[in-house]
Amino acid sequence: MRATRVIITALNLKWAYHAANAMTGFATSVIGCGVEAGIERELSIDKTPDGRPGLSVLMFAMGSKVLMQQLETRMGQCVLTCPTAAAFAGIASEDNINLGKHLRYFGDGFQTSKLIGEKRYWRIPVMDGEFLVQESTGMVRAIGGGNFLILATNQTKALEAAEIAIKAMKQLPNVIMPFPGGVVRSGSKVGSKYPKMFASTNDAFCPTLKGLVNTELSDDIESVLEIVIDGLTFNDVSNAMCAGILAICGLGESGGVKRISAGNYGGKLGPHHFKLREILAKK
Amino acid sequence: MSKSALTFTLKKNLTFKVDCSPLTPDKLTGMSLDKILETTLTNSIKVIDLFKISGNNYEDIIFKKSTSKLDNIGHKMSRGSITIEGDCGDFLGANMHGGHIICNGNAGNRVGDQMRRGLILIDGNAGDYCGSRMIAGNIGIFGKAGNYTGFAMKRGTILLTENPKLHATIQDCGTHNLPFLALLFQNFKTLSTKFNHIKNQRVQRFAGDLACDGNGEILIISP
Repeated sequence: MRATRVIITALNLKWAYHAANAMTGFATSVIGCGVEAGIERELSIDKTPDGRPGLSVLMFAMGSKVLMQQLETRMGQCVLTCPTAAAFAGIASEDNINLGKHLRYFGDGFQTSKLIGEKRYWRIPVMDGEFLVQESTGMVRAIGGGNFLILATNQTKALEAAEIAIKAMKQLPNVIMPFPGGVVRSGSKVGSKYPKMFASTNDAFCPTLKGLVNTELSDDIESVLEIVIDGLTFNDVSNAMCAGILAICGLGESGGVKRISAGNYGGKLGPHHFKLREILAKK
Repeated sequence: MSKSALTFTLKKNLTFKVDCSPLTPDKLTGMSLDKILETTLTNSIKVIDLFKISGNNYEDIIFKKSTSKLDNIGHKMSRGSITIEGDCGDFLGANMHGGHIICNGNAGNRVGDQMRRGLILIDGNAGDYCGSRMIAGNIGIFGKAGNYTGFAMKRGTILLTENPKLHATIQDCGTHNLPFLALLFQNFKTLSTKFNHIKNQRVQRFAGDLACDGNGEILIISP
């Protein structure tokens, strides 16, 4: 996969969140959304280029072309439009993709560029003042689709465990969990009985199908949730998985989680394999 | 060997103008100190006749005891830095393509004439036609700027602390908070200049020169 990071700042954190939430909306899976995106972390005023509160956003796609398209579209519709928001490169790389390079034409000839240090920025006049955007940001190779499954005695327990895992994982840099609240209930398997579908429900982990299919679930498991992780490196993903799993283990038996598993799709989906026992053994 | 700035110290008070355009990082790179001393500046006057030189970092040039007789400092420079300890003459940073120039004193006329990129910061005053025919880049004058500031400028930013007398084709656009100034001022913090204390992002903005597209700007800031 390819990934990029964008730093979004605004007058205050509330408006930075408005921009970042819009930009990372409908970005849960590359299958249907083009990109997987999420808010990586909050940035204090001493960590942002313009000294305002900000957020860093990570965006992942299957290739550079779609990442460029999605970034420009989302920048134009979600950040340019958001009051007081500004956007800056969040990652350095030899490969650069456009952040504000084409967006500048919205200025209709009144846009101006500023080369400050080695970085070029665009100032686009908008109705609340000026939209400031860096010309480009870096693009790096990255890893998507790291995952683990939480097998619990009931739906409430599964969700509580997932929330605790997400809270722990969000403390780590370089990763996002792109699904709603970081959690997926509709884990998928490769293929389907319908020829046009290349992914379908992961029936082996659906509790209501226990008697019908070759299930992976024991009698005491009634609910399964998945956490999907995208990260900039293998270690980033495995560290996040480890943090999430250890947080769930910290709940103890009363947490209702019986097993942690993972979707490995026969080991054929992607070149990277995150082996849960090995990841946890390192800790 | 540790590197120290290449320093030109003026040896005497000049009664005539001197063209210092050969003394930029671009033009001096690869030259030995002996060859620099033999470089001809104006008429048949050589560097050795006017300056003592020391240092070995050609990307960082300092003019010491500089006066308003030294013209064309930083002409066509594209990289590195020039620091002027004292005043300088006309055409400071003319046709500049990059790098930065800091002048601790006053500058003459036509500062940044036709400059395309880079940064010129003057702690003192600037003469007439500051930023004339400017194509892009940034000029800051902490003192007063003379008449016809921004004359025929196409793009670029001239940052002033006092309202100059502006000509008819420079248009007042009102007072604003400009977010890019935060980045610019952060960049100034690494430089030894009065500008590195400015924090205020609220400026009065004049656009111009409307006779030449009007995409340049003169910003008046309260330091």
